[in-house]
Amino acid sequence: MSAGQVLQGRGCAAGEFEGEAVVSSQPFGFWQGMDPQTGIVIDKRHDACGQSLTGKVFVFPFGRGSTGTPGIFLEAVRNGCAPGAIVNVKSEPMIVMCSLLAEAFFKVTIPVVDGLEGDLPSLLRTGDRVRVNGTTGAIEVVARG
Amino acid sequence: MECLPPAASGRLFLGESVQLTDEEKRILDGKCGEPQRLALHVLAKLGEACGAERMVEIASAHLVASSYQIAGEAGIEIYTQLVVQGARVKVRTTSDPGSIDFARWREFKTPADYAARQVKISELLDTLGVIPTWTCTPYTTFNVPRFGEHLGWSESSAVVFANSVIGARTNRLAAYVDLCAALTGRVPCFGLHLDEGRKGEVLFELDPDLSANFADHFFPVLGYLVGQVVKDKIPVVAGVRRATSDQLKAFGAASAASGSVALYHMVGITPEARTVEEAFGGRVPSERVSVGRREIEAVMEQMGGATGPVDVVGVGCPHASIDQMRRYAALLEGKKVHAGVELWICANTVVEAMARTMGYVATIERAGAKLMVGTCHNDCPLGAWGFRRLATDSGKFAYYTPTTVGTECAFASTEACIQAAITGKVERR
Repeated sequence: MSAGQVLQGRGCAAGEFEGEAVVSSQPFGFWQGMDPQTGIVIDKRHDACGQSLTGKVFVFPFGRGSTGTPGIFLEAVRNGCAPGAIVNVKSEPMIVMCSLLAEAFFKVTIPVVDGLEGDLPSLLRTGDRVRVNGTTGAIEVVARG
Repeated sequence: MECLPPAASGRLFLGESVQLTDEEKRILDGKCGEPQRLALHVLAKLGEACGAERMVEIASAHLVASSYQIAGEAGIEIYTQLVVQGARVKVRTTSDPGSIDFARWREFKTPADYAARQVKISELLDTLGVIPTWTCTPYTTFNVPRFGEHLGWSESSAVVFANSVIGARTNRLAAYVDLCAALTGRVPCFGLHLDEGRKGEVLFELDPDLSANFADHFFPVLGYLVGQVVKDKIPVVAGVRRATSDQLKAFGAASAASGSVALYHMVGITPEARTVEEAFGGRVPSERVSVGRREIEAVMEQMGGATGPVDVVGVGCPHASIDQMRRYAALLEGKKVHAGVELWICANTVVEAMARTMGYVATIERAGAKLMVGTCHNDCPLGAWGFRRLATDSGKFAYYTPTTVGTECAFASTEACIQAAITGKVERR
């Protein structure tokens, strides 16, 4: 992928966001996976461990969803350290619910796009600047990291 | 829960996929107040994202963000906002365990400021009209579903029990989405609410030897194995000859933790699986898995193969029934829990009261064990204890405690766990 190219996914939760990507090839669970006080990945078994998700476009294959997921996610939203957008291969309802709840209860829009085919790290790299449109499902690479 | 359907256009929020009734339109117009409007908005959006064609009325809700550990300050803010707006739940709604034992939090070394935040949540939920059950097993007493009834539940072990053992219908909702369901008395109708969404997908067959010699503590192990294999698909298990309600509870809780199983069928045992054919509803299994003693042993090792000294023992996950309390009391009769070991039995207030009446609590406490009521090892902050190794008979504890409590885990049968509490070490499974 080079700058200016557009990946077409599927819009799962509306909104637009531009920011730096954090790309993982592993499924992720926010519950016990992210510290909601700092936005930092704390799951020691995860390849993004130690990275901050605050204001980032978090790209990972799919969620591992405990039903408590929105608890942690909304706590991060409240603390201003949630991801700015989420891009998945397959978004489970739990991730979509997190975004819907953030908008409903905290007026924070976090677009979710899924349906990206193939190996995520070969499409997007950590540090890339990308623009995510949660309505159209378009992910534009603004600049390579 | 079924995953999102393909959307040909790349756009999902066309706003027309969920057909609303006149009453639902009135709610969305704000005629029934802001809390209901907001709640139905969330549910309708979820319905659109998941391909629901309509909403369905529910008989009850069960809330998972009742614990401070899950809800946090964000939850307190949400509940406070709803209380200020005059919100009330519209259907019978019960609460999952909290993050403290309300009567004995000091004994469990819970920090006072932490306990105060849980008490705050409790007051807010009271005002919203939630029944303060503080249990993951509401289906035993307070919130008893009927076959075929639609529900809006979230707690994963209760969801899988209600769907599988009772034959009620609920998707695995998330924290606060369950609250939206409670406030409106509705959920979007997709996934497990539909006949089509309840058909089996993966077949597990016990080999004849395992089938004939299926021990009590194999239920959580088999559940754990099944969850790992199917993730969020619907498993069908053939070869289990008989099962108690507690054994099905243990199986389901483990499968919902290691995977995200929300419905299983057990042939000849659960109500929608009188035969293998009925369980699959005409569908061909996408996968067949044969399970024997060797697979059970391997998963047991993975769940917690540690032996030797333990400093904490946890039973009653999901919350213990009165039958289980009788069993613990019988095993502890005239015995003493080893010095330096904590044996905590998790249960809800109703089972506690009955066990007290029947003398089980006296026996348990005489032995030096404690009842942990309305919460559990996983929901409570236990940092002050510095535990290193936990023995448990629960597949759900085995899955979560390495992270929540930060301990190594030894999985064993109920008898072996109680024995470990008495001797201070795990000597057998």
